[in-house]
Amino acid sequence: MIRYWPALLSVLLTLGAVAGYYAFLRVPAVRNHPELYLVAFALATVIAGVASWRAARWPNFVALGLSAVLLILGGYFNFVLARVPATATTFKVGEPAPDFTLPDATGAPVSLASFRDKTPVVLVFYRGYW
Amino acid sequence: MLTELGDAGVQILAISPDPNERSQELAARLKARYRFLTDRDLAVTRRYGLVHAAGGHKSQDVPRPSTIVLDRRGIVRWLSLADSIQLRPDPDAVARAVRELAP
Repeated sequence: MIRYWPALLSVLLTLGAVAGYYAFLRVPAVRNHPELYLVAFALATVIAGVASWRAARWPNFVALGLSAVLLILGGYFNFVLARVPATATTFKVGEPAPDFTLPDATGAPVSLASFRDKTPVVLVFYRGYW
Repeated sequence: MLTELGDAGVQILAISPDPNERSQELAARLKARYRFLTDRDLAVTRRYGLVHAAGGHKSQDVPRPSTIVLDRRGIVRWLSLADSIQLRPDPDAVARAVRELAP
């Protein structure tokens, strides 16, 4: 077991990065730094790569395969799939927000103008779960 | 963000294409001044220029995740537009933007 400690370290680093990211998704410092899991995957790939080069044994190859696949998939998600293209917004800081009326969860109409001169408003546009 | 802003005397309007009964129940339990509004056909999202074309998992249009702080007069004072679906504005930054509004 002891001579496979680099392979074990690589696997723990890889799985720890996945578990840590999901466990602390609500912590802004974790959520907003997805590149941290890529750094962990890259480090795990290097460790397993060196171990495989020094000793061509299956635990080292397994660790190398796992970390390399997650590095590629994670990189593809982070740099390609998760990207949101810039959009031409129709409002600017310092200008009035366009008014609207939308139904709330009970179907009752809510208009932005109804909060005018009463309370500040935070608009949160989110993707929803479809 | 639910709890940080709940007491700040601010109305949060959360807009998505979803029908939102479940989200509204959650907000009621947290006693947050959160109202979930349904923009089924993205008409309002489109009017704001916040449509992520074909961004959904079935290549449907979805909102670009965005947070906009308006003062009492309805003027935009702060905004955060996502360039990645993984990122959210720091709730502390939103709370700060609300606190810095003129009373």
